[in-house]
Amino acid sequence: MPRLPTPWSKKRGQRSLGNPYAGVAGEVAFSASAFLAGVFGLSLVLISHWAPQQVPAQVSTEALSTNLSSWVIGTVSLAAIVIGATRLGFRLIHLSASDEFRSVIATRAGAIEMMAPGHGGHGGDGESDVAPLPNVPKGRAITESPGEHLAYRLPMVSGDSGLIGPALLALFWNTAWIILLAVVVSGFWIGKPRWILTFLLVPFAFIGKWSFQFSLSQLRQRLGVGATVVEINEHPLQPGGSYDLFVSQAGRLRLKRLVIRLVCEEETFYRQGTDVRVERHEAFSQILCRERDVEVDPQAPWEQQLGLEIPENVMHSFAGTHNAIRWKIVVKGESRPWPSFCRNYPVVVHPPGLPPSRNPR
Amino acid sequence: MCEQGGVYRAGESLKASWRISRVAIEDLQGLEISVLWHTEGKGDEDLHVHHFQRINEQRLREIGIDSEQELQCVLPVTPLSYHGQIVRLAWCVRLRLFLSDGREVLSEHPFYLVSEQYQHPCEASGESPEAESQITKSEPDQSVSTRAKQTRSVLASLGR
Repeated sequence: MPRLPTPWSKKRGQRSLGNPYAGVAGEVAFSASAFLAGVFGLSLVLISHWAPQQVPAQVSTEALSTNLSSWVIGTVSLAAIVIGATRLGFRLIHLSASDEFRSVIATRAGAIEMMAPGHGGHGGDGESDVAPLPNVPKGRAITESPGEHLAYRLPMVSGDSGLIGPALLALFWNTAWIILLAVVVSGFWIGKPRWILTFLLVPFAFIGKWSFQFSLSQLRQRLGVGATVVEINEHPLQPGGSYDLFVSQAGRLRLKRLVIRLVCEEETFYRQGTDVRVERHEAFSQILCRERDVEVDPQAPWEQQLGLEIPENVMHSFAGTHNAIRWKIVVKGESRPWPSFCRNYPVVVHPPGLPPSRNPR
Repeated sequence: MCEQGGVYRAGESLKASWRISRVAIEDLQGLEISVLWHTEGKGDEDLHVHHFQRINEQRLREIGIDSEQELQCVLPVTPLSYHGQIVRLAWCVRLRLFLSDGREVLSEHPFYLVSEQYQHPCEASGESPEAESQITKSEPDQSVSTRAKQTRSVLASLGR
């Protein structure tokens, strides 16, 4: 029995089941229908506004009579036109070009953008002594700040949760709770008590207390742990190279354990349904320093000079659109009385065999 | 390809020759040949074409498909081939044939791009965060020969 063609196709890993053009045909048909429906709806709205006598008799005059309904139908129609046209154009471009051809077009477009003034595509800004390295992060921000002991002070990318989010949550939640409390009190005051709202205030108060305590602990951690300074004598790094590292931990705390590591991390983004997920994997980890029971005093911060050796034949830093390989120095401390902290200091590793970059300091 | 083992050093010149057999020229609408890298693994694919050549139907009839055609380009310094746990970076020469009936046939010939100093592509093995990881070296010849067999099988299926 001959099978009827289906307007969809299934994906099983790298291969597709069914006719590969079936899904495309279905999507094109849907996009074209959305576009045409949008054009029809918008035309009706425009005709009813500019030439009401031209509206067909089949269309209810009430549907387009009010100003609000005209706006609603017009907006929906416009959205349908934009979505339909965009999806249609996108799908037709994909039909007429292979993956490789699209990549070439995107690269050429990027090259034209880089040649435009303001992008510094072909300018002598001190990087001309290094051969261009496609898909290797430049790491300009890493060498922006000079160090006190060594050439560069590495910028920190905190692995801890932020402070602004919990603080805003606590502020807005407790403000809302106070307003609700005022409503309840006013109800009792005028003799019309709102009992449901009164009972709801109790669990709401617990949430408010928790959000306040959480934001306070984040603030205490930020203020109490103190700054971690990591400095390096050279950047970018190369496989097989030896470097000096200076680490300083300020604050008033007693660290139960302090670990400093060199880490190479694989990072990948992928779509799962409508979500974009990220997965990280530590491909390489080297412990540079591990100490127990470290006392840190505001007058005497913990300081240590370390040696850092990048192994030979390791992968260089890489940054693609969905995949990346990142190198970083990780400082992790388990402290008392503050919560534990983990701070990351990204570095860039170049492939071996390149001439060392000129030190701007 | 000019290197038997399929291992090229960064910045080196890549020379390859290609030929299409067992397909009538009337069945071909065009072809694209590219030197590219792409990622494999859990994440969405990144793809970047380093060298691209498109030959349309008219040009194909002019040059013919029976004789060997040359492909030459200078490879970039990065990104180097990499075989990680969740990210793999692979280089290849890809030939895409467009047939008159709308079908496309893809043929890939992978190769390794390695640094100027080291002959082997790097491969990281995951260890516990508290322990030092080991960087091992893979044997490129076996993998490349396996993929080359797949390429030959694709070409063979094209001929049927």
